[in-house]
Amino acid sequence: MTDEDPTDRNAGDSREGADANFDGRKAPNVDSDSRETPNAVNRESLNVDSGRELPDGGSLDGEAADGGTVTGNEIPVQGAVSDALTAATHPSRSTVRHWLTTTNHKDVGILYIVTSLFFLLLGGLLAWLMRIQLWEPRAVGEGLLGAMAYNQAVSAHGLVMVFWFLSPFAFGFANYVVPLQMGADDLAFPRLNALSFWLYLASGLLFVVSFFQGGTFAGGWTMYAPLNLPTFTPDVGANTAILALVLFVVSVTVSSVNFLTTMHRMRAEGLTLRRLPIFSWSILLTVWMMLFAFAALLAALLILSSDRILGTAYFVQETAGGTLLWTHLFWFFGHPEVYIVFFPALGIMAEVFQTFTGRRIVGRKWFIAAMVLVALQSFVVWMHHMFLTGINLEIKTLFMVTTIGISLPFDLMVFALIYTLVKGRVRFTTPFLFAFGGLLLFILGGITGVFLGAIVLDYEFRGTYWVVAHFHYVMVGGVTALIGGLYYWFPKITGRMYDEFLGKAHFAAYFVGFNLLYFPMFVAWETPRRVFQYDAWMAPWHKLATVGAFILGLSFVLMFYNLTKSAFDGERVGNTPWEFSRTAEWAVPSPPPTENFPGVPTYRDGHLAFRSREATDGGSSATSTQPDGGVAADGHAGEHDHGTHASIWPFAVSVGGFLLFLGLSGIREGSLVEGMAGTAYLLAAVAGGLVVFGSLVAWALEPFDSPEGGFGEAWPFDGVENGKVGMWIFLASDVVLFGGFIGAYVFTRVAAGWTGWHPVPEDPIPGLVNTYILLASSFTVVLALVAAQKEHRWGVVASLTATIVLGIGFLGNKGLEWLHLFHTGVEPTATIQTSTFFLTTGLHAAHVIAGLIGALYLLGRSLGGAYLSDHRPVEYFGLYWHFVDIVWLFLFPLFYIL
Amino acid sequence: MTHTKLYTVIFAVLFVSATVQVLVEFAELAYWTAFGIIIVLSVIKAVLVAAYFQHLRFEPRSLTYVVLIGLAAALALTLAASYSIL
Amino acid sequence: MAIHAAGSVVPIPLQAELVPRGTRTVVFERIFEVFLALGTLVGVVVVAYMVYNAYKYRDGADREDDFDPPVLGELPTGGGGGRKLFTSFALSTVIVVSLISWTYLTLLYVEDPPEPEMEVEVEGYQFGWDFTYPNGHESDVLRVPRDEVIQLRVTSSDVFHNFGVAELRVKTDAVPGQTTTTWFEADETGNYTAQCYELCGSGHSYMTATVVVMEPDEYREWYANTTADSS
Repeated sequence: MTDEDPTDRNAGDSREGADANFDGRKAPNVDSDSRETPNAVNRESLNVDSGRELPDGGSLDGEAADGGTVTGNEIPVQGAVSDALTAATHPSRSTVRHWLTTTNHKDVGILYIVTSLFFLLLGGLLAWLMRIQLWEPRAVGEGLLGAMAYNQAVSAHGLVMVFWFLSPFAFGFANYVVPLQMGADDLAFPRLNALSFWLYLASGLLFVVSFFQGGTFAGGWTMYAPLNLPTFTPDVGANTAILALVLFVVSVTVSSVNFLTTMHRMRAEGLTLRRLPIFSWSILLTVWMMLFAFAALLAALLILSSDRILGTAYFVQETAGGTLLWTHLFWFFGHPEVYIVFFPALGIMAEVFQTFTGRRIVGRKWFIAAMVLVALQSFVVWMHHMFLTGINLEIKTLFMVTTIGISLPFDLMVFALIYTLVKGRVRFTTPFLFAFGGLLLFILGGITGVFLGAIVLDYEFRGTYWVVAHFHYVMVGGVTALIGGLYYWFPKITGRMYDEFLGKAHFAAYFVGFNLLYFPMFVAWETPRRVFQYDAWMAPWHKLATVGAFILGLSFVLMFYNLTKSAFDGERVGNTPWEFSRTAEWAVPSPPPTENFPGVPTYRDGHLAFRSREATDGGSSATSTQPDGGVAADGHAGEHDHGTHASIWPFAVSVGGFLLFLGLSGIREGSLVEGMAGTAYLLAAVAGGLVVFGSLVAWALEPFDSPEGGFGEAWPFDGVENGKVGMWIFLASDVVLFGGFIGAYVFTRVAAGWTGWHPVPEDPIPGLVNTYILLASSFTVVLALVAAQKEHRWGVVASLTATIVLGIGFLGNKGLEWLHLFHTGVEPTATIQTSTFFLTTGLHAAHVIAGLIGALYLLGRSLGGAYLSDHRPVEYFGLYWHFVDIVWLFLFPLFYIL
Repeated sequence: MTHTKLYTVIFAVLFVSATVQVLVEFAELAYWTAFGIIIVLSVIKAVLVAAYFQHLRFEPRSLTYVVLIGLAAALALTLAASYSIL
Repeated sequence: MAIHAAGSVVPIPLQAELVPRGTRTVVFERIFEVFLALGTLVGVVVVAYMVYNAYKYRDGADREDDFDPPVLGELPTGGGGGRKLFTSFALSTVIVVSLISWTYLTLLYVEDPPEPEMEVEVEGYQFGWDFTYPNGHESDVLRVPRDEVIQLRVTSSDVFHNFGVAELRVKTDAVPGQTTTTWFEADETGNYTAQCYELCGSGHSYMTATVVVMEPDEYREWYANTTADSS
């Protein structure tokens, strides 16, 4: 169940740690203890200020920075000179194989950035098509696009930009920069990181394919029900688009678990959360929001996929509350999503402002507190998207208050950024211009957003271009800052400087184009959204917007030319081209070596220093008999077996996932599409499923060294190993996934009248039997762990076998129950009652099946005597299995008794 | 051996309370009374499994909080959405 | 603040001077004007201040000696200026909260409209609108008398639509399987256009209906001649 099979090297440590836990003692704060281990000699850091010359500011402002001026910025390694940097044994970066198998966070970051820019072009192209259509009011059949083509362009533009461009672009930077800022060698689960990227690419390609399957989804990016059902959007491509989103969400969830584990567990010594750079903070909060928001979206999308593919009845117009259910599920995700795409931009603004004003950000801790507040509150504002749906006045009032409440922390952040300019030394470089421009546009977006917070005004703005203009000022305002981030870190990523003049020209064209495009939309706000027929008086404004769209789009030609050319023949830069850069990514070469740092980074003495790795290793072996601490440091620096840092399996899993989902798209409400195509879809699904399964097995068996956490700051998960933290974070998102399903059940039941709704199975006894079976299987999993701790091989084997038998018994019993129901005419597709019953318990059964596959894997390895010295896989499997058990403890009463 | 005993006792408690849930249903109590008892029993069972089988009791509290945050989000969605159409 | 600007016949309680009352149009315009004026003012001031400071503190030859720039590898800390930050924050909070509270009073009024003179059922479908009068008369044109409060009960027979008449400032979602209500009052006779404001399929751009506002007498004469049959 865990990504990285722990190696024996660390086994002793964890066994002791876990034993401590089972003895009922609170896990000791080993990480902070480890800081006190006596190798202070090696940790002594040099004063970075001494002998460091300030780079010549003049050379940085305008022309390409001179790498030579910043060599004084280097932070030397303590103790012996490390040779860790020379040891990279990856396939050469110029080979295809390298890029298919890389798991390094910097490579993955580059892949994310490049891919997301491709989707920016795709989304931009769709926007151009729309703007051409909107050049003047069109009668039926006039213009470039037909009505359905226009709806597809509108929908795909929104989906591509929000999902496949905005967040992945930001996560390119997050991948590249965050581990550097925190002092980690890589993410906690490098192969999962590669998997996130490949699933993202696979999902994007799947979406592209949907255009060629009779047309992609045409129901708007909000996918409102019941237009999102095959009755109204029948194309196969519409299925594919929804499934592409499912695959994308899987990628995001994997990525969220990975980033959260990494960012909480793997910060450099002394880099407590309070001291984390703001960009890293913004990513941390973004990822927390993603974890829960995307789980809710996954619930929504799985239900929708089921309605489309299996023919369940959640969103059909006959279901009371079905239409509203979609809006709740979607916006519960959709509003946090606004901050998910905007926070990284905010973080970049803060970094760029500090660097190019030479000032530390004003009110830093309040800035962070404001972000935390927004992240929490973002989950209780979603109904402001639904003020006209007939929800009651009390809830409207409540959500008006939370909505206004969430706007206030942004005021504070905006002022903090502005006051950072005061008494600074502002240098108008390209990154600064984009960050500054982004803030300016965001201010306008924010002010126009307050209009929407007033419900009386919102009633009239609903569905008009006021909304369109407002959220483009906010979101594309955010993009502006992200582009600033691209220029800011370009020298770090490529080791070369971009052309400053072309960069500024890009900004000028971009800024003019942006405002020409979006400002007229405020003037012509009475245009209904997603139409191409509007009052003639607004035509000049729409023409202006179309001109702006082309200027904005074409301005990117400058960027692509500039960056492509500079990547090859730009002036070389040293560690940093920027005067007043502060964060750790600027203290290593550009681009950083595979291992990132010349030694183990530490802030022990209040500023960044590097301890030598050899010295650290020595220290750790001396302390390796102590629980956790010393070994943790060992895990960080450890014996680097570079041969195991590449893996093809993330790529292979994604290829399989692509085929599987492509195949599933050919099913509509329970039956395959007609003819040869149907067979082809079926084959693709089967082949894809096999590839996924085979690749996952190979993945599990592949030896792979992933970095351990706990070498520095690990709050609040000190003393809990990375794999366990990752498992719990994943389970928390699974709580929200099931929460979405159960919430959908409760909501539709309330809409139908709670007590008028009777359980689908008339007899609760089969459900009770399954409760007994599942409880018993949880017990046997516990026994398996106890046996592993006692190094009792056959005890492990017997307990796991019992678990598997019980699990199969559970599924068999359920299968019989379902067959019986089918025979008595109870079909999943009949009513909302039967749909919720079969789908929710079906999702649970799918979890049981996944658990059984895991258990079979464990059983297979335990026959060979595995897990006796390192029982963690058994423990983590247990966490998952017990969770599935707990879910059933609620499903049983909800669906069988009440 | 003591651990195994503890786990066995917990397993027995879980087993019995699942049975009680169904008995409550057959006891013909007022609907909402039965509802309350059954849900409370489910919560107790869930807490027992999480605390001992998943040994959250012996872990840093932060892990519990992570799960509770997820639970809070799910409850916020369910309760506020349902309330909005009352 | 002038309340009767639109010449509405809706009875308006006198104590509510500060809170805009009257037709939906009056209410909207009044609040929108205030927001637009204040929004523009705040926007101009903030952006001007921001640009001014960026320019004023541009990097030049003359760097003051007390300048204390961050250094590479330092632990992040905050810069000074906290008091100014909180003053601005408090100010913006006061502005936003009072604006929204003010509009909330109007919301209460809009949510609890004057007693309607007439109620019309509106049903959206792909791609048009169907209106049913109290006497059972059905039509694809909505005819209403001037200066009277009309209540609409809106639903949909297929997908999610949104019924809105921009000029009359009336809008509500048309959700299948459920009914939403809204109201309006027109103070000028003439033809208006109702439109769909939620993407609903291929005909969304053209999903319109005509709304005819008539003199009350004329209207009553027309209404008396209608029957339960469709026109």
